[in-house]
Amino acid sequence: MVTKTEETQLNRLENQVDNGGGGAWEYLCLVRKLKVRRSEKVLKHGLSILNDLKQRSSLGSDEWTLYEQVAVAAMDCQCLDVAKDCTKVLRKRFLESKRVGRLEAMLLEAKGSWELAEKAYTSLLEDNPLDQAIHKRRVAMAKAQGNISVAIDWLNKYLETFMADHEAWRELAEIYVSLQMYKQAAFCYEELILTQPTVPLFHLAYADVLYTLGGLENLQTAKKYYSSTIDLTGGKNTRALFGICLCTSAITQLTKGKSKEDKEGSQLQSLAAKVLEKDYKQRAPDKLPQLTTALKSLTLSS
Amino acid sequence: MGLALIVGLLGLLILFHAAYSTIQYRGLLKITEEEFSGPPFDVVIELFLGLLLCFWAALTAPGKFLSIHPHSEDNRIVSLPANLDFMIFNHRGKAFPVEMDLKLRQ
Repeated sequence: MVTKTEETQLNRLENQVDNGGGGAWEYLCLVRKLKVRRSEKVLKHGLSILNDLKQRSSLGSDEWTLYEQVAVAAMDCQCLDVAKDCTKVLRKRFLESKRVGRLEAMLLEAKGSWELAEKAYTSLLEDNPLDQAIHKRRVAMAKAQGNISVAIDWLNKYLETFMADHEAWRELAEIYVSLQMYKQAAFCYEELILTQPTVPLFHLAYADVLYTLGGLENLQTAKKYYSSTIDLTGGKNTRALFGICLCTSAITQLTKGKSKEDKEGSQLQSLAAKVLEKDYKQRAPDKLPQLTTALKSLTLSS
Repeated sequence: MGLALIVGLLGLLILFHAAYSTIQYRGLLKITEEEFSGPPFDVVIELFLGLLLCFWAALTAPGKFLSIHPHSEDNRIVSLPANLDFMIFNHRGKAFPVEMDLKLRQ
């Protein structure tokens, strides 16, 4: 998970490295640790370290990690020559390695030769049928080819064996959302919240899915999860604040005919609106009129 | 850091002195054949002083306290990591090749 401090540190280092201030290795380490996707920058700065013999030898055994990182980044940027060279160097060093085998198969994937890649993954899985990374690669490959239903099948099968893998749950949830299968996506997000209850972004995504599903009960649950997101982020999440406002107005619209007065809900909405106004005043004063009209229309429609 | 260390050492010295005084006091009691019910009042004061100094030093010397609240500015999660295990290369980046002629020199 990327926290606020880590994000600012990453941005600072990125600025520093881009302007030639040094610290490229620290930057690459941070990128690896936070698992962010900055392929172009990793490729550029990683290669400059690898091509400098003095810098490279000072890394010691971390050199090989860097080769791997640069190879994957090069595949992502479609610099297949660089990726090929890096894999070759790694293969020369680690003759029998499965990890390099995976890298080679990924290179085939990047080239678009799906059948060869599939064959390579199958043979790797025969050696070690419990290799999680390779199972995941096969899912990704199905997704890259556009066979979303196959990807879903494989992910489901994978999750039967490795139920604690939250990354796979997240991927499945995102695939379901992209297919507008919100009920299934909601199930995946429930699973994610169960495994990592302190990550506000899962609460937020779950609330989003429930709000999209609609219906009084779902809306009320969505509001609760938006509130828990606010609780976990200390009210700094703009999306959750907007979610509260939208949910409340949708709920009042649905219960308009009934005499049930939801006092707590309107209070929550006015609080959220106040925080939003304050936030906009501080960070984007020129967009404040737009915000006030949007909030007014929400309360008027109820 | 330096100040905290000195204060901590001073606190330790005071504690040791208090222990020494208590032992001496017990020795004295043995000579006068009285029952030991507790250290004398000035030793108790000394003990508390040493404790306080040690406390203060132990809380300041090791460094700053970090927040454990999930919503604090340090721990607030702002984004999820990219799901790199499921990364696919078949994306629109293909249409925008990197313009630099990058090469790995052996």
